[in-house]
Amino acid sequence: MFEFLFRYPRSVFTKGDLVLLGSWPVWLLGVLIVAGIVGLGWLMRSRQSEAVGSIKGWRSLVLWALQSSMLAAVLTLLWQPALLVSTLKPQQNVVAVLVDDSQSMALKEGGQARRDQARTPLQAGVLDALSRRFQVRLYRVADRAERIKALDTLTAQAASTNLGDSLKQVSNETAGLPLGGVILVSDGADNSGGVDLDTITELRTRRVPIHTVGVGLEQAVKDVELSDVQAPARALADSRIAAQLTFEQRGYEGRKAKLAVRDGSKVVAMREVTFGKEGNWQTESLLFNAGSAGARAFKFSLDLQEGEENQKNNSTERLVNVQDGRRRILYIEGEPRWEFKFVRRAIEDDKSVKLVTLLRTTQNKFYRQGVDQPTELEQGFPAKVEELFGFHALILGNVELNYFSPTQQELIKSFVDRRGGGLLMLAGRNALSEGGWAKSALAEVLPVILPERKGTFLREPAAVQLTGTAIDSLITRLVEQPGANDERWRKLPQLADYQDIGTPKLGAAVLAEYTPGGRARLPLLVTQNYGRGRTAVLGTSGTWRWQMQQPLEDQTHEVFWQQLQRWLVTETPGPVVASTPRQMLFDESRARLSADVRDKTFLPAADVEVEARVLGPQGLTERIKMKPDAVTPGLYLTDYALPKTGSYLVEFTARRGAEEVGRDVVTLQRQDGVAENFRTGQNRELLEKLSQQTGGRYWKPADLNRLADEIALSEAGITVREARDLWDLPAVFMALIALRGTEWWLRRKWGAV
Amino acid sequence: MVEVARTHRVGSRRVSALVLLGFCTISVLLAQRGTVRDFLDEEDNPAPMPADAQEPGEYTFARLRYTSKRNGYWGRGGGAWSTDWPKADRQFVQGVRRLTRVNARSVEQVVELDSEEFMQYPWIYATEVGRWDFTEKQAARLREYFLKGGFMMTDDFHGTFEWSVFYEGLQKVFPDRPVVDIEDKDQIFHVLYDLKERFQVGGIQMFFTGRVSENDGYDAKWRAVLDDKGRVMIAICHNMDLGDAWEWADHPRYPENFASLAYRVGVNFIIYSMTH
Repeated sequence: MFEFLFRYPRSVFTKGDLVLLGSWPVWLLGVLIVAGIVGLGWLMRSRQSEAVGSIKGWRSLVLWALQSSMLAAVLTLLWQPALLVSTLKPQQNVVAVLVDDSQSMALKEGGQARRDQARTPLQAGVLDALSRRFQVRLYRVADRAERIKALDTLTAQAASTNLGDSLKQVSNETAGLPLGGVILVSDGADNSGGVDLDTITELRTRRVPIHTVGVGLEQAVKDVELSDVQAPARALADSRIAAQLTFEQRGYEGRKAKLAVRDGSKVVAMREVTFGKEGNWQTESLLFNAGSAGARAFKFSLDLQEGEENQKNNSTERLVNVQDGRRRILYIEGEPRWEFKFVRRAIEDDKSVKLVTLLRTTQNKFYRQGVDQPTELEQGFPAKVEELFGFHALILGNVELNYFSPTQQELIKSFVDRRGGGLLMLAGRNALSEGGWAKSALAEVLPVILPERKGTFLREPAAVQLTGTAIDSLITRLVEQPGANDERWRKLPQLADYQDIGTPKLGAAVLAEYTPGGRARLPLLVTQNYGRGRTAVLGTSGTWRWQMQQPLEDQTHEVFWQQLQRWLVTETPGPVVASTPRQMLFDESRARLSADVRDKTFLPAADVEVEARVLGPQGLTERIKMKPDAVTPGLYLTDYALPKTGSYLVEFTARRGAEEVGRDVVTLQRQDGVAENFRTGQNRELLEKLSQQTGGRYWKPADLNRLADEIALSEAGITVREARDLWDLPAVFMALIALRGTEWWLRRKWGAV
Repeated sequence: MVEVARTHRVGSRRVSALVLLGFCTISVLLAQRGTVRDFLDEEDNPAPMPADAQEPGEYTFARLRYTSKRNGYWGRGGGAWSTDWPKADRQFVQGVRRLTRVNARSVEQVVELDSEEFMQYPWIYATEVGRWDFTEKQAARLREYFLKGGFMMTDDFHGTFEWSVFYEGLQKVFPDRPVVDIEDKDQIFHVLYDLKERFQVGGIQMFFTGRVSENDGYDAKWRAVLDDKGRVMIAICHNMDLGDAWEWADHPRYPENFASLAYRVGVNFIIYSMTH
């Protein structure tokens, strides 16, 4: 319709410059228009008295406006308005046609593969039309661009798509050529995260428009895709891991499916989920046991549904480095209490955690348990950095602030902030606000603002319940199913006592609450990260009732305390912490490896040598010296290209001379031919943006017959300026008729005709 | 004539000697009765209710009330379980408060196996257990109590016969666990005080009988029933009377060393149960 009325495509109007081709000066047109309007106005006014009564007043103004518009239009047409556009000179420019040849183009939709959806219109005449006017260069693109002679060589088997690199490569190859335009035929399923700004800027500088042709359905009709899994990179042996699985589905709303996680062929956890509204991202959690120590690759999957169009995007893998070795927790208790006894019993069988306790039995006597050496903690609570930092977490029981010297108080703060340890404070008649902690330097690290009053601790029963925040927390998960877990907590025996722990800080997570005597809910268990560590406050010392007042076989008390203790220690770093942004590399080979090295006092160690030893598939071994980062002391970096697909283990060792400072391990896996199975819907947004930002246009395959004409409207390459007349447009003719006709109709309506 | 007179004189002397002997015996007996009376008089004046009796504590001295195997009254309350109650309990707790950081409630709590509150007291004291008995249900409940982490101290039963009654009751609770002698090196004897030298602590009966031991319980036996990890669940104090030591620690005639040991043993048992 647009071209029927305006004769030219929209791009002519958007790219063209409006000009007047008449030989008379433009100012004369302006003068005549103004004179004409004024003249008409004077004429109407002078004949006002002779006019029919019904067209006086505002009606006469309307008629004057219509007549003025008509006059202005006619005068403008006399000056020959036109659009000046740049067009490519025939046969003197190059047009690059890039066709996506990745695996996603092999997907069949409506019985036809995307590759064929792209190829068919091109072979049916578009390429010929282009060839008549331009020199056409054909490319197949995947992770890079490759020149081809014919479209028949397309295979749709490339493992990944990198449009940015491909466009950059084409631009470089045609740097000395008059490149008039680029046509990119693709589904836009880019695996590199999009086209970078540098590439776009380079093409815009050359004024090369990219016309994108979108192939494939934007959304599958029937498909389930497991798009992301968040799982921790490390875990303690035999601990529970919580993974968050995000998926999307179309065509299966309301159906049930099984979420599963496998360690090799063994299913370690499985649960049923119900699909929500189609097209919405849905996240579900899955708890499973980490198993024994080692580098483990867990496979997460969703059942294949009947009729799924893409069956390769229902599963993905994640690597978890399961660590052995016991993490040490120092628990100092100010007086003998039942909670102390039952907490020790709850975790005594946990092989990953060792509790070392210091109990003040009399005013000046301590009872030590769990120490490694007879002399350990002989002097009481550690006063030296190395001694305290040898632990992974700290539990402060019913101990008043004044028991600790100012040095020890600072040490505790550094333990959390710098060392990255976990800190748990329990309730008690000398703890928290009662013990003077509210106004201490340590108040800053706590996840709550303690009340500044006494009388906060009461030996009265209180019921407990979970909060909504606890749904995803491993600490409070007693039962697998969230709904059942909530119910389980509600049925727990009442606590023996409780303490007002104040107001949770912004960003803190309140996992459980208690209800004293049926009154309002108050926070019971609050956690937060602080610095490199994490802190928690538990507003009771009476969970031991869960052990004594439930059946013998009930493991609630044990499970809760084991999970709380593991939360305290799992993320506590060692002197060397190795990391990589992505452990799973899908159809890419480069990995950035980094190691954060600390000395015995956990200050950054800038004077060490760090070496990464790589153990890869088929006996591959490599040693790499890591370079210190120029900006961050203690940080050592290297980029590593994984040469083959398979699993890699990288061991980082930091040394200061002959002395080993510490070591850590990171696992990686390279998988090829996987990336193309995910996010296979046409990425129209990317294709449209690419064309808009470069002055091109987004096309559908059915509209390609006009492509050759439009692509000629380019300012790149060898161009010529053409004038496109506007005076003879059907729209102009119709506008003149409309003006005149409207005036006649109004006059008739008002009885003047 | 002279022979008859001599015989008469000899017979009179024997009678006089007998009378004198009888008189002396009665005197001695009366003197003893006066000493026991001192203690019995005190029993008529039990320990007063402390001013802070209503204040709860972390630790409560929980005394087990059970059914006695033989009928009969012994002590206040109508059963063997109540021996020395409540003075022993309250006086002992005073010592706990003074000697340790345990936040102890000043008054005792009598608990029964059939009550819901029983499991709220992880430490219990049972005395005169040479007379105790349980139903099967009570025994099962007690067994569950121990396996969940509860601790019991038994006291004041003496000799072979009372041991057999105690053991019969114990068998209902733990038919498959042996009773063992607590080794000197066990932490229960070192957790606060080092109790390397232990001896038999006698009850007030020793002032009547002249013997520390009762029945045929000549030697103090420190025994226990252990859990699967070797921790003491039931501390068995056989052939001694620690309860009396607590009860009469403030009496000038009661031996100080007996009272000291009794307090130290009790305190150790409490600290042990709160740390193991």
